[in-house]
Amino acid sequence: MTLLQMKGITKRFDGVVANDGISLSVNSGEIHALMGENGAGKSTLMNILYGLLKPDAGEILVDGKAMDFASPLGAIAAGIGMVHQTFRQFPDLTVWENLVFQNEPRQGPFVSADAARDFVRRLGSRHGLEIDPDSRVRDLAVGIRQRLEILKALSREARILILDEPTAVLTPQERDGLFAAMRELASKGMALILVTHKIPEVIAITDQITVMRDGRVSGTLVTRETNEAEIIRAMVGRNVPPTVASKVTSDARPMLSVKDLSVRKGAVTVVDNVSFDVRPGEIVGIAGVSGNGQPQLISAVMGLESATGVVSLDGHDVSSFSIARRRAAGVSYVPEDRHLTGTAPAASIAENIVFGTHRNAVASNKGFLRKDAIRAQARKLIERFRVKAASEQLPIGSLSGGNMQKVVIAREVEHGSPLIIVEEPTRGVDVGAIEFIHQTLIAERDKGRAILVVSSDLTELLALSDRILVMFEGRINASLTGSDMNEDTVGRWMMGGAETR
Amino acid sequence: MIAAALDTKSRLAAILFSIVAAVVLGGLVVGLTGANPISVYLEIAKGAVLGRGLDETLARSVPLVGMALAAAIALRAGLVNLGGDGQMLIGGLAAALVALYLPVPGVARAVLALAAAICAGGLYAWLAAILQLSLGIPFLIASLLFSYIARGLTSYLVRYPLRDPSTGMPETYRVASGARLPAHILDLPVSMAMVIMAVVAVVIVVNDRSGVNGFEWRMTGLNARFAQYSGVDLSRQTQRVAFLSGALAGLVGALLILGQQYRFTDGALLAPGYTWSGLMAAVLAMASPIATIVTSVFFAALQVGGFSMERALGLPAVLTWVLQALIILCLAARPIFFRKR
Amino acid sequence: MLNMLLSQVLDLMTPVLLAAMAGALCGRAGVFNIALEGKMLVGAFVAVATSIAFGSPVLAVVSAVLCTAIFASPLALGGARLGGDPIVIGIGLNLLASGLTTYLLGAIFGVTGTLVDPAVTALPKLVVPVLADVPVLGAILGHNALVYLSWLLIFVFNIYLFRTPWGLRLRGIGEVPSAAAAMGANVSRYQTAVVIVAGGLCGLAGAQLALGSVALFAENMTAGRGWIAVVAVMLGRAHPLGIALACLGFGLADAVGLRLQGQGLPNQITDIAPYAITLLAMIGLGLRSMKKRSV
Repeated sequence: MTLLQMKGITKRFDGVVANDGISLSVNSGEIHALMGENGAGKSTLMNILYGLLKPDAGEILVDGKAMDFASPLGAIAAGIGMVHQTFRQFPDLTVWENLVFQNEPRQGPFVSADAARDFVRRLGSRHGLEIDPDSRVRDLAVGIRQRLEILKALSREARILILDEPTAVLTPQERDGLFAAMRELASKGMALILVTHKIPEVIAITDQITVMRDGRVSGTLVTRETNEAEIIRAMVGRNVPPTVASKVTSDARPMLSVKDLSVRKGAVTVVDNVSFDVRPGEIVGIAGVSGNGQPQLISAVMGLESATGVVSLDGHDVSSFSIARRRAAGVSYVPEDRHLTGTAPAASIAENIVFGTHRNAVASNKGFLRKDAIRAQARKLIERFRVKAASEQLPIGSLSGGNMQKVVIAREVEHGSPLIIVEEPTRGVDVGAIEFIHQTLIAERDKGRAILVVSSDLTELLALSDRILVMFEGRINASLTGSDMNEDTVGRWMMGGAETR
Repeated sequence: MIAAALDTKSRLAAILFSIVAAVVLGGLVVGLTGANPISVYLEIAKGAVLGRGLDETLARSVPLVGMALAAAIALRAGLVNLGGDGQMLIGGLAAALVALYLPVPGVARAVLALAAAICAGGLYAWLAAILQLSLGIPFLIASLLFSYIARGLTSYLVRYPLRDPSTGMPETYRVASGARLPAHILDLPVSMAMVIMAVVAVVIVVNDRSGVNGFEWRMTGLNARFAQYSGVDLSRQTQRVAFLSGALAGLVGALLILGQQYRFTDGALLAPGYTWSGLMAAVLAMASPIATIVTSVFFAALQVGGFSMERALGLPAVLTWVLQALIILCLAARPIFFRKR
Repeated sequence: MLNMLLSQVLDLMTPVLLAAMAGALCGRAGVFNIALEGKMLVGAFVAVATSIAFGSPVLAVVSAVLCTAIFASPLALGGARLGGDPIVIGIGLNLLASGLTTYLLGAIFGVTGTLVDPAVTALPKLVVPVLADVPVLGAILGHNALVYLSWLLIFVFNIYLFRTPWGLRLRGIGEVPSAAAAMGANVSRYQTAVVIVAGGLCGLAGAQLALGSVALFAENMTAGRGWIAVVAVMLGRAHPLGIALACLGFGLADAVGLRLQGQGLPNQITDIAPYAITLLAMIGLGLRSMKKRSV
C-alpha cells in the first residue's frame, strides 16, 4: 500500500535548480533509502516533505490525499516525522520534559509528571526504544539522544519517518540498535525514509532505493536486486574525472609531519595517536564518516585545540605555537564553515581578503593600511578566481556560497604558504565553482605545494587526492594509493575495515 | 559582538527616521504636560546656536565627544562599556591628586596629571576586562558595578581626607593656576582641552579608518571567531581595547578637572551625564567614530538648547535627555546591530 | 535589636527581589533584561504621582504596575518581536526612565530633587503589637502587603516554572528557541508576554521602593538596585529560590551598612557595600566554576 507519494517536485534557489521533477513513492512497511552525494538535493527534497520549504512545482500525497504544508506543523499533523541530523532538543531539560513539550499531560493547571513519565515508558516499550524519563538530556550519549528524537516523532503519531543521516554520529553498536528499531517500526506498518550516502547500510537495511544526482532522480532500485556497483554508478555517474597524478617524487622532505597526535575530550579520545606526512607536490585526502575525529585533527594541527604529540612544519616542531605563529610559519587554512569562521560576512570582500595578512609589508606600512594596494589585490584575485562580484567593496555576505568560498580559497592560496589545509572545499557550492576550486587546488599542488584536504564527499576526494587516509574512530586505519583509491575500497575502510565485507 | 548590519544609506535613513520619531514622541510628552511643543523645540534650536549657544555647545562637546568615543571604540570591538562614570571619576581623581600634591613645576604637573588620569581610568576598565576574561563576569556588569564603587570611594575621599575645609562643599583644594589647562590659546576661543580632544579624535578616526589595530578591532566586532582564526589574540585585544576606552574616559575626567572645574567636587563630574549621553551618541552612530563625533556634537547642542529652553519657558531641560533616549529606542527597536556570540 | 535588623533586611531586599524575579522571568525566556533599573524608577514615580492625585495606596500600586508594564513594551516589541538588540533597548529604557521621571517631576509638580506630599502615605503595615517582640516572628510580622506578596511570588514563580506547562515551554524557549519553535511553541508571543509581566513586577518593586518605608519620590532613587537585581539573577542562576537567597544577602549587606553608618562610618563607604558584596559574590562564583572546570 502506497503511503507517501511525491510527484514532480521542483525547487529552485536563485535560479539554481536543487530539485528537478523528483518523484518518490514509499509503501507502508517499507524502509526506503534516499541516496546521493552532498549537494545532490536530498536535503531540499526532505525539507519540502517536512514543510520547511515550499516546492515551486509538484505535489505531495499522503494516503492518496493531496497535501499542502504551510509549516512543519502541517506535516506533523499529516503523520510525517523527521529525525534531524542536529537534534532539536533542550539539553537542560529532562527526557520526559523534552518529549511532552507543547503536548503536556495535565492535572488541573499543572503538568502531570507521573503521567508524562508513564507515557515515555509506554511509548518506549511499545517500540523497543526504552529510555529513562528522568535523565537530563545533556547527560545522555548521542545514540540515546537520537532515540529520544525518534520517540518524539512517534509520540506525535508519525506514520512516515524521515531519518537524515542518522548513523553519521553513531558508534557501530548504536547503529545496529538503530537498525533493529527501524525494522521493528517498519514491521508495524510505518514507512521510513533513510537519507544517507553510505552504501553498506543501504544494502543492509533498506527495501527500495531512490538515488539522486544533481537535483534529479538518477536511479530507482530494489535493494534485493541491485549491488554496490550499480548504486555507485547511479550516485556518481560514469565520468569520475581521472586523477591527474602528481609528478613529484615522494622522497621529498615532508612539509607537514604529524606524529602520535591525540586529542582527548573528557574521557573520550577523539583523535587517537595519529601520524602522517604531507609532502610538497602532493594532495593528501582525509576520508571518513563524519564524527570520526576529522575536525578535531585539523584543529589540533592548526593549534586551535590542545593535543599531545608532535606537529612539524618543514622539519620544525611547531607543537607549542599559537595559530597565528603556525600560520606565519607557513600554513594556509580554509575552515569548514565560511560564515562562522572563514569570513566576517558584514565586512567587504577586500577586507576579508586582506585580513590575516594585513600586517604584511604589501598591505600595511608602519601600522597603517595601504588601502589602494589592498583593493587592487582584491580586484586582482576577484578577476583571477572569477568571483562574480560587482565590486571589491561589497560585503562578502552578499555573495553566493560558491563565490564566497572562491574568495576564501583565493585568500588562503594567495598567502603563498607551502602548506594548504582545506576543510570541505566545495560544501554548498554550485557545480561551476566546484570544478574551478578543484582545478585551483591541483594547480597549486603542481607548483609544489603540500595540500591536505578533508572532505565528507568521497567523489571529491577521489578526484583530487594522490593519497587517501581514512579516519575511523579517531584513528587513521588506511592509507590508500593508486588502484586502491576507489569508492568501494575507501568506503569499506570508512566503515571500519576489511571485516565489514 | 556588535557590528553595523546596514549599509551607509539605509543607516542614515534609519537615524533620520528615529530622530523624527523621537521629536514627535517628545512633542507628545511636552503637549501632555500642557506646554506647546513647537515653541519648546524652537527655543531649543535657538538656544543651541544663537548668542552664547554656539560657544557653550562647543565647550560641552569636548567631554561628550570624549565619552562617546570611549564608548564607540569599545562597541566597535564588541565590548559594551557601561562603566564610563567610574573610569572618568578615577581618572579625574588621579589628575586632581597629581595636580594638587606632586611637587614638580606647573606645566609638568599638568602633563603628569593627564598621564595619571589616562593610566588610572584605563587600569580601572582593564580590571573589569580581566574579570570577564578570567572569571566570566560580563564586562558590561563588572564595569557598571565598578562605577558605583568609584562613586562611593571618590565621594568619601573628597569629603574627608582630601577636603578643602574653607569651602562649605565636599571638594578638594583648587588646583594651582600653573597646573591648569588654559581656557584660551593665544586669545582664541579655543581651550587646551578642545585641542587635546581634537587630537585624540583625529587619532581614533585615523586608526579606525586606516590603522592596522583599528582594522583588527572592527573585524573582531564583526566576527570574533574569524578574527581568532586569522591570528588575532582575542584576550590581549579585549584587555587593550578596554584599557583604551577607560583611558579616554579618565582623560575626559582630567580635562574637566584641569580645564574647567579646577578642583574635584563630589558629584560634579557625573551630574551632566556625559557617560550615558556619550553612549547614546555612539549607539546612534552605530559605533563609527566619525559619525560618533557628529552625533555627540548634536547631542551637546541639544542639551545646551535645553538649558536655554528651561530659562525661557521654565520647563525642565532634562527634556533633551528624554529626546536622546527616545531616539535610541526608535533606532534600536529594529536590528541595527547584529550579534554573534 | 536582632529583630530590628532582620526586619530591616526584609524591607530592603523586597524591591530588589521583585525586580530580580522580573529579570529571571525574562532570562528564562531568553531575553536579557537590563532595563530593571529604569522600570523600577518609573514604578516608583507613578506610585507617588498616583498617590498625590487620588490619595489611594491601592490605586497607587495598581497604576504603578500597569504603567510600568506599558513602559516595558518597547523591549517586548523591539527585543522579542522585531529582532532589536535587548541590551541597547535596555540602556535606552533606563535613560528614558531617568529623564522622563525627572522631567515630569519638574513639569507637573514643579519640583527638582525630592517630591514629598502629605497625600503620599506609606503602605499600611501589618502590626501585631503583642508579637512584635517575639524573636524572628516579630521581624517577620510588621511589613506591608508587598513584602508578603514578594515572598508568595517566590513560590508562585517556582511552581509556574517547574510545575506548569507554560513554565516548561518558557524554559524550553529560553534554552533553544529554534527547537521550541520547531515543536510548535510561539516563541515571540511567550517572550512578549513575559517582558510585559516582568514590567508589572518592576512596577511593584518601584511602588515598594517609594511607598514601602519612605513615602516619597527622589530623582534616580533606585540608585543601582536594578543592576543589583540583574546580578542577583546571575548569582541565583535564574532559580527563584537562588534569587531569593542572593537578595537576602544583598539586603543583609545593605542593612549592616546602614547600621555601621549609625556607628559613625561615613555613608559613602557603607553605600559601596552592596555593590562590593555583589561583585565579590560573582568573583567567588567565578572562581568556583573555574576550579570545577580545571578538575
